[in-house]
Amino acid sequence: MTENLLRVRDVTRRFGDTVALSRASLEVETGSFVALLGPSGCGKSTLFNVIAGLQTADEGSVTLKGVDIAGCTGHVGYMLQKDLLVPWRTVEDNILLAAHLTRGVQPMDRVAAREMATRYGLGEFLRHYPHALSGGMRQRVAFMRTLATHQSLLLLDEPFGALDAQTRFEMQRWLLEVWESAQRTVLFVTHDVDEALFLADRVVVMSPRPGRIVADLSVTYGRPRTLDTLTSPEFMRLKAEVLSLLHPEATR
Amino acid sequence: MKKLFQQIAFPLIGLAIVIAIWQGIIVFGHVPPYIAPRPAAALSAIFSQWSQIWPLTWTTICETVYGFLAGAGVGFVLALAMAKVPIINKMLYPLLVFSQAIPVIALAPPLVLIFAFSMTPKILVVAWIVFFPVTVAAVDGLTHVDRDYHQLATVLGAKPSRTFAVIELPAIVTPLFSGLRIGATYAVTGAIIGEAATGGGATLAQYQHDAATNFQTQVVYGTTIVMALIGIACFAVVSAIEYAVTPWQRRSTARRYKA
Repeated sequence: MTENLLRVRDVTRRFGDTVALSRASLEVETGSFVALLGPSGCGKSTLFNVIAGLQTADEGSVTLKGVDIAGCTGHVGYMLQKDLLVPWRTVEDNILLAAHLTRGVQPMDRVAAREMATRYGLGEFLRHYPHALSGGMRQRVAFMRTLATHQSLLLLDEPFGALDAQTRFEMQRWLLEVWESAQRTVLFVTHDVDEALFLADRVVVMSPRPGRIVADLSVTYGRPRTLDTLTSPEFMRLKAEVLSLLHPEATR
Repeated sequence: MKKLFQQIAFPLIGLAIVIAIWQGIIVFGHVPPYIAPRPAAALSAIFSQWSQIWPLTWTTICETVYGFLAGAGVGFVLALAMAKVPIINKMLYPLLVFSQAIPVIALAPPLVLIFAFSMTPKILVVAWIVFFPVTVAAVDGLTHVDRDYHQLATVLGAKPSRTFAVIELPAIVTPLFSGLRIGATYAVTGAIIGEAATGGGATLAQYQHDAATNFQTQVVYGTTIVMALIGIACFAVVSAIEYAVTPWQRRSTARRYKA
């Protein structure tokens, strides 16, 4: 029985008269991969920022490993659609950014970063500057930087949103490969139904006005996920269910 | 290699055209040498008067460099204070503009009253000219650092001092150096204005003034060229430093690698 790593209880967040997020509750098990799916304005980024500690909740609580983390930063890994690599640092030092920004880089950090980058296919780019890399490679580096924070919970906000379809699929498979061997917990924000269903163990569907969680679906097919997953009957069934949740007005 | 050749060749061609026009005006306009010299005469005056020109030039270089360093330092510290503390920004910005609205030459009398005819008033005039572009460029750079970087640093639990050193400072290198380059180019102007306006014995400005009074026209022009060369050298040094500290702007990999 795995314990719940993250526990979000009845979190509400308002901006003036707008309710960005209304009584959202969510549990994330250790080691699982959970996708937050919804259109823009459904509060998924607000929920994401509340968990990251960038915004405070007006009501409700957020606990990580049983500890209340509302309004505190520095205890999750975090990655956005923008890679936010610093152009004046090499790939290696970008991976080590969290250490540079907090306690300073120790020799063993470098060893660990090089070993990790080599294992996941970035070994030959360690001394490159980011501008010399392709968009997909840059996102890989950004994800390595997230892993190198040594946080057990990784928050990824549409990390592949800016990539072309082929690169995105390549990145999704790479992400699963890394996630399966690195044993972390991932909360993945996306508005792409296929992406959510391909990657996650659970898909949490959100809806706007007010932003809220409308469904929490378990993905029934197992791993590893392959190209065939995308065309399997189970995938199609779940996709139909998710689409009807996202577009109730279009359902006859 | 071809790029390097073009970088050197085209400026030289431009210079040659200017010199040719100068030569043409003197020759075809029948300009007498006491009104304006030929280019060669102006250049040779530098060499023939070198023993007199060099010590004065050195003094001007010192004023320029000290003034530049003081101005750049003050400008940078001001920029930090203004970018980090909005109240200071609101208080100082109008004063900055006011400071540059003062005709530089009008700074001389009060400075002479305080510092007499020493080198100090010249250095202060240089610093007065240099700090402004540095402050404006650095404030602009600091306030335009992508907010998402700050957010990322916050989520990673960064210390403010490290965020400054790792993210903000490198992020403003490019705008900061455009300010420094402008400052470096104008620094020598400040030094010469300072010399001319505050007076005080043996200076390059005084030397040129004396040469003009004596109708040593080629020396007047030679001195002007020397002054310009100081400005060009300052610009070149600042550009070279920028080149050295920003390897990521032209290389795809780091040169040094801590193994």
